[in-house]
Amino acid sequence: MNRTACRQQILRCARVTLASLSLAFAAAQPVAAADASGARQEPLVAAASDLQFALDELLQGFAGDTGMRARVTYGSSGNLARQIAQGAPFELFLSADESYVESLAARSLTIGTGELYGIGRIALFVPDGSPLQADPQLEDLSRRLREGKLGRIAIANPAHAPYGRAAEQALRKLGLWEPLQDRLVLGENVAQAAQFASTGNTEGGIIAWSLALAPSLRSKGRYALLPASLHTPLRQRMVLLKGASTGAEQLYAYLRSDVARAILARYGFVLPEE
Amino acid sequence: MSGRTGLLVRLKRSAPFALDVAFEAPAGAVTALFGPSGSGKTTVLRAIAGLQAVDAAEVSCDGATWQSTTQRIELPAHRRPVGFVFQDYGLFPHLTVRQQLELPMGHRPADARRARVTELLAVTRLQELADRRPAALSGGQQQRVAIARALARDPAVLLLDEPFAAVDWALRESLRHELISLQRRLALTVVLVTHDFDDVTKLASHLVVLDRGEVRAAGTIEELTARNAIEGIGERHDPGVALDGQVIGQLPERQLTVVGADAMQFEIPAIAAAVGAAVRIRLAARDVILARHRPEGLSLHNVLEARVLAVQPAPNEALRMVHLQAGTCRVLSLVTADAVRSLGLAPGVPVLALVKAVAVEAFA
Amino acid sequence: MDWTALALSLRLGVVTVALLLPAAFLLARWLAYGRFRGRGFVEALVALPLVLPPTVVGFYLLVAFGQGSWLGVAAASLLGHPLVFSFEGLVLASLLVNLPFAVQPMQNALAAIPPSIRDAARCCGLSPASTVRRIELPLALPGIATAAVLTFAHTLGEFGVVLMVGGSIPGETRTMAIAIYDRVQAFDEPAAAAMASLLLVVAVAALGITNTLARRAARRE
Repeated sequence: MNRTACRQQILRCARVTLASLSLAFAAAQPVAAADASGARQEPLVAAASDLQFALDELLQGFAGDTGMRARVTYGSSGNLARQIAQGAPFELFLSADESYVESLAARSLTIGTGELYGIGRIALFVPDGSPLQADPQLEDLSRRLREGKLGRIAIANPAHAPYGRAAEQALRKLGLWEPLQDRLVLGENVAQAAQFASTGNTEGGIIAWSLALAPSLRSKGRYALLPASLHTPLRQRMVLLKGASTGAEQLYAYLRSDVARAILARYGFVLPEE
Repeated sequence: MSGRTGLLVRLKRSAPFALDVAFEAPAGAVTALFGPSGSGKTTVLRAIAGLQAVDAAEVSCDGATWQSTTQRIELPAHRRPVGFVFQDYGLFPHLTVRQQLELPMGHRPADARRARVTELLAVTRLQELADRRPAALSGGQQQRVAIARALARDPAVLLLDEPFAAVDWALRESLRHELISLQRRLALTVVLVTHDFDDVTKLASHLVVLDRGEVRAAGTIEELTARNAIEGIGERHDPGVALDGQVIGQLPERQLTVVGADAMQFEIPAIAAAVGAAVRIRLAARDVILARHRPEGLSLHNVLEARVLAVQPAPNEALRMVHLQAGTCRVLSLVTADAVRSLGLAPGVPVLALVKAVAVEAFA
Repeated sequence: MDWTALALSLRLGVVTVALLLPAAFLLARWLAYGRFRGRGFVEALVALPLVLPPTVVGFYLLVAFGQGSWLGVAAASLLGHPLVFSFEGLVLASLLVNLPFAVQPMQNALAAIPPSIRDAARCCGLSPASTVRRIELPLALPGIATAAVLTFAHTLGEFGVVLMVGGSIPGETRTMAIAIYDRVQAFDEPAAAAMASLLLVVAVAALGITNTLARRAARRE
């Protein structure tokens, strides 16, 4: 093709691309309003998965009080911390392990160092119909393991989920970590691990106590709270992130109120002094 | 017709196969590009239209330069006023016949287009098919649409690539008639690529013979067919002459038509053509009998006075090709060597050429 | 049923098709009609997302456009926010991952147009641009429609790359596929089931449409 034809085609390309880009740009405005100047804002929260039910209930109360519907993304604390470090637009972070909050603070991504909202505990959850018994020292589990009759056990991924790390510490302390390796199913976060267990896809799971206490799991099986001495404490901290809106600040204040504390306590998120 | 110099073509290419041709296609005439498959004739045609890149080219039509490597001119194909009829017709499947004809008329104002399309439909007898799509047309109809579409552009040159290759024998004759009458009526400059020598002798007035990318012979049909053997054509075709003539008269009571070319006249079985209509007359060499004396009592109509120009060898050793001059025309006669000896045929000898009326092919 | 997620998925599908189709058409045309030496290589590149795990694409996008790279910083200053964990990031990922779905049907449709028809268009006085507009586009329409439908349906189903590049931010990057995942983890099976069946219906409809178009195109020949 000679030069003039090439040039015409390039011009045509440019025109078409420009038209599409402007069309797409117009269409690509975010669905939720995140207007920086307005009064009605929807704060974006990153929360550890063990808060799945507790936070939902808390946010309902918050919406009742202020009319603001906060948006939540649940996940493993490590994963969320990574996303925040990479620029995810969260405004409030509730971590199941305060070390993630500390590392974010060290990188100047937070407003202050936040506040402790609870001490996390782990529990062995066993769904109905499972041959496994739930006991606080995992004796039935280790017996069945020795007899070669144990099925799969779910925990959260220790690499980035605090509850997974706690589960690993507990299993190591009980001398069960190595023998259990080929039986373990790793959930991406503790809620997924709980889901594996509650549906009966695994014989049991070591999950957050707060999830085992939740109504939807309570009806599906039994649990045994594991001693706190089996793992380093899961100190759970929440913090406002740099660039948080006034709506997020209001939510942060709400979460520290007495009303919120009562709800949290019901889900097992107790502070050391309580 | 003023200022029409016809098509001047010079092309050179080295890869993928070598091409080195130079020829002229005179204005208002049909020039045939003839040669075996692989001789490059389609490539040449496409290069004239601007559809094929070559290494070096000089292509000009009626004085306008379309392509010149020396002057760095290269008109893209869509700016060259050519009409191209492809071997598979290349009709647009999603357009009706009317729409196909309107498409090339961008150079005319919108209101003039409708009128022109109607005209074209009439000239090519496609009126009833105007709103059909190509899928609903027969092969012959598609070919007429392809030709009409090529003409819709008011082209300076009409290029046809083996237009009758896909058509059966019976249809070929009628399509040839249509093409030649269109060409005569519109005085089109036509370049016709074909490997069928019948096409050449019936349609073309000029011939360019291609073989392996080179021109082996070029000239008028009369000149070339009067040669013993045209290099590049060989014995595949019946040697003979093709003359441009006219219908001189009709003899309805005898069921004969008189056609003539220059000083020669032939009586042939009656054909339906008006007096004065142009005809192409073909005389195969094997149909010309030579005599020293006028015969009597034969069912013969045509006796021409001629003079022997030369006696040439023929592919068969027992035969000779005798070249004759009859009036201003050349005639060929294929006879046995024995006859040459017994009649004493030699250059300069006067002789009579006898041709059966049936043997004279007149193509109107 | 998470209507926000549904609206987001639909928006992502429409935007992807709107941006990708014109560019993919030009690429498809280049591959169908161009005769150049690297053609096989380009075709392989285009086909790459078909065999590449979506997480690989997600990974490379994170590396290339995350806060650590100059490209990411440049994009962030252009957009006002980082490219990752944003709708625009999803669009970029979607464009890359859908390339073969957009290019291949159009390339096949264009290549199926006999060369003599395109040559005839030239000899009818149509410039290359007019040939595209009046001959190639109409004749390749079934292929273009197939490309649009496949791209749209595939976008709705994207998961791996969306999760990696977008996170799961409600209203911004939580598409329907992610929302299903999220609802399962929230022990909300009814919601997950509702959305899953909707996506299933969309996928079946998309396949039905492309099949009909393919048959119609075959009949034309």
